[in-house]
Amino acid sequence: MQSDLKKILSQSIAFWTFRILSLAVMGILFSILGFIIVKGIGVVSWDFITKMPEDGMTKGGIYPAIIGTLCLIAGSMLFAFPIGVMSGIYIFEYTKDSWYRRFVQLMTANLAGVPSIVFGLFGMALFVNKLGFGDSILAGSLTLGLLALPVVIRTTEEALKAIDNSYREASYALGATKLQTIKRVTLPMALPNIITGLILSIGRVSGETAPILFTVAAYFLPKLPTSVFDQVMALPYHLYVISTSGTNIAESRGMAYGTAVILILIVLILNIIANIIRRFLTKKYKTN
Amino acid sequence: MSHLNIELQDLRSNILEMFELVQTQLTKSKESFLQLDKDLAREVVINEKRVNGFELKIDRDCENIIALFNPVAIDLRFVLACMKINSNLERIGDIAESVAKFVINFKLEPEKELLETSRVIEMFDTCIEIMNTTARSFAEEDTKLARSIFKLDETVDEINIEANDKIAAFIRTHADRINQSLYTISMIRKLERVGDQCKNIAEETIFYIEAKVLKHKSQK
Amino acid sequence: MYKIESKNVNLHYGSFHALKGINMAIEKNTVTALIGPSGCGKSTFLRLFNRMNDLIDGVKIEGECLIDGKDIYSKSIKIDDLRKRVGMVFQKPNPFPKSVFENVAYGLRVNGITHKNFIEERVEVCLKQAALWDEVKDKLKKSAMALSGGQQQRLCIARALAIEPSVLLMDEPASALDPISTAKIEELIYDLKNLYTIIIVTHNMQQAGRVSDSTAFFYLGELVEFDSTKKIFTNPTDVRTQNYITGRFG
Repeated sequence: MQSDLKKILSQSIAFWTFRILSLAVMGILFSILGFIIVKGIGVVSWDFITKMPEDGMTKGGIYPAIIGTLCLIAGSMLFAFPIGVMSGIYIFEYTKDSWYRRFVQLMTANLAGVPSIVFGLFGMALFVNKLGFGDSILAGSLTLGLLALPVVIRTTEEALKAIDNSYREASYALGATKLQTIKRVTLPMALPNIITGLILSIGRVSGETAPILFTVAAYFLPKLPTSVFDQVMALPYHLYVISTSGTNIAESRGMAYGTAVILILIVLILNIIANIIRRFLTKKYKTN
Repeated sequence: MSHLNIELQDLRSNILEMFELVQTQLTKSKESFLQLDKDLAREVVINEKRVNGFELKIDRDCENIIALFNPVAIDLRFVLACMKINSNLERIGDIAESVAKFVINFKLEPEKELLETSRVIEMFDTCIEIMNTTARSFAEEDTKLARSIFKLDETVDEINIEANDKIAAFIRTHADRINQSLYTISMIRKLERVGDQCKNIAEETIFYIEAKVLKHKSQK
Repeated sequence: MYKIESKNVNLHYGSFHALKGINMAIEKNTVTALIGPSGCGKSTFLRLFNRMNDLIDGVKIEGECLIDGKDIYSKSIKIDDLRKRVGMVFQKPNPFPKSVFENVAYGLRVNGITHKNFIEERVEVCLKQAALWDEVKDKLKKSAMALSGGQQQRLCIARALAIEPSVLLMDEPASALDPISTAKIEELIYDLKNLYTIIIVTHNMQQAGRVSDSTAFFYLGELVEFDSTKKIFTNPTDVRTQNYITGRFG
């Protein structure tokens, strides 16, 4: 009896500890979101997202920064997605389980651990100066793409690993080559999980400030880009600027919170879209 | 049709063939006895080898079916019944053979009077009828027909029991016919076994169809 | 001439001697069952004949493996061509996440066949051979994943048949299925042997008895006994075979 009581007691203590901790995590998330939304929702309006900034960024909208961020997300994904997926396929499907594969995997992991400001400096040195792209969408996208690359590679590898080997064998057994097998069987099956990686990297890329600092972001540029060699404004950098070094920090405080709300919304919407795609693919390529 | 079903069908038709073979043996042994046809009797003796060979084949088939297909329920009962029916049939074959051997060793044609008083011909006919009925009940899976065999067997038993007194009486009046009389009575004894074997076959048929064990029961 | 032959085949995985001097000759249009405890080499032996072992690192194969009298490990044999002649069915039903139709058509498509009518014809023929046509003819465009486990496995058999192999390798094809589906697969194997030479690995002794003409018992990488299934199941020569099939092992 005694020990039963003890068991029940320790059980419920553990259970409640876990419950409170996870509730606390959710609480923190909601309080951050709540704080930002409460402070920022007031300035968000149709004008706010469609107008150019005015009066030293204390009035008007953030339209060019939204477009800039979307350009950078698209550009970096166009770069990171194919290269990352192809590297992942190479590492998992073409290298044998040897020191070479482990070395490549280790280097990929290291790449993920590099601080983002270092990416920024590297991007500036290589794309902006060496290759002469200047401060441009191209240079910024490539830099952000490099940042996203390890995540895409890793998730591609994991997605391929999750596919039962018997599917590959079944394909080979029917006389298919390795490339045919990847193209027709493995990659379609891995796609839903690869998309998950894409979602993660979009989240990361859209919020980064440091890599775009020296490669693309404009302090104040109230016009839209016309080519990939143009500079643009970007939401995270804009947020940084108006809350630290703007012409009138106190005046633009509301604008800053509004910008944060928009940034969060963009990430959220992109996540939802990617999730819908992933669900569709999962349904299509579902295995038991 | 499933693989096991094919095997079971083959087994069934083999058993039916065995029935036919043994029936022919019995009929021929009767003919040879009535006509004292020693050639026909020799044919029966020679054919007995075929019966034995066929028995071994069916036994092997049953063993294979059990080993390879692990039959259950009615399939298992069928195979087990076939094994027993098979050996019962082989014994009937033996009986036909020993009748034929008697015929070969017979010196004299059996006395008509003796045949009539001992009812040995009636015995032969009843046995052959029982055989036919047994074969039909197995072939048609007719348990009602199978049960009728127990009734038919009573006739055989009755002739067998009466035979003692009848033959004894015959010997008293025909002291010179003792040998013939003794042959006749042992013939009747043997044929009585045919009835018993058929009864066993009928029991096995009922066992596999109805899953009822009738062995060693008075009420059938 | 035998359909399939192995002559003194040795196989090493690194330092592990997985197959030890296997000699076996298999007649055309028969079903051969490979039985034995886990890790005895039966699956490895099966995978010799479509060179599936080649995919594993560090495999070394000695001896001769012949199909129709030709050494399938010789330089002149192209592996893709070999695999077209030797179909394979796996332990777990593994249809591709495509439609029923595309699953069967897969082997044809990867081998460069584009003729629409021909593909349609082959798909129908193979699904009929695999005794699946009546169940799926109205849902050819539906995902194969919606089929039951037993249907999926028959679909995998149809998929293997599409490229018109003459040999069919089956690696425990019914081990993941319920008894009814298993019975269907077994019936199918029995019917298919008129057209194909089949080798089947099975853990299920009764299955070996039911479907095969010959049975080979493997133990610790050795071929202990190879004989007609009837002989093996009623009177095996080697005492190890007897102990294994009677369940007295170990």
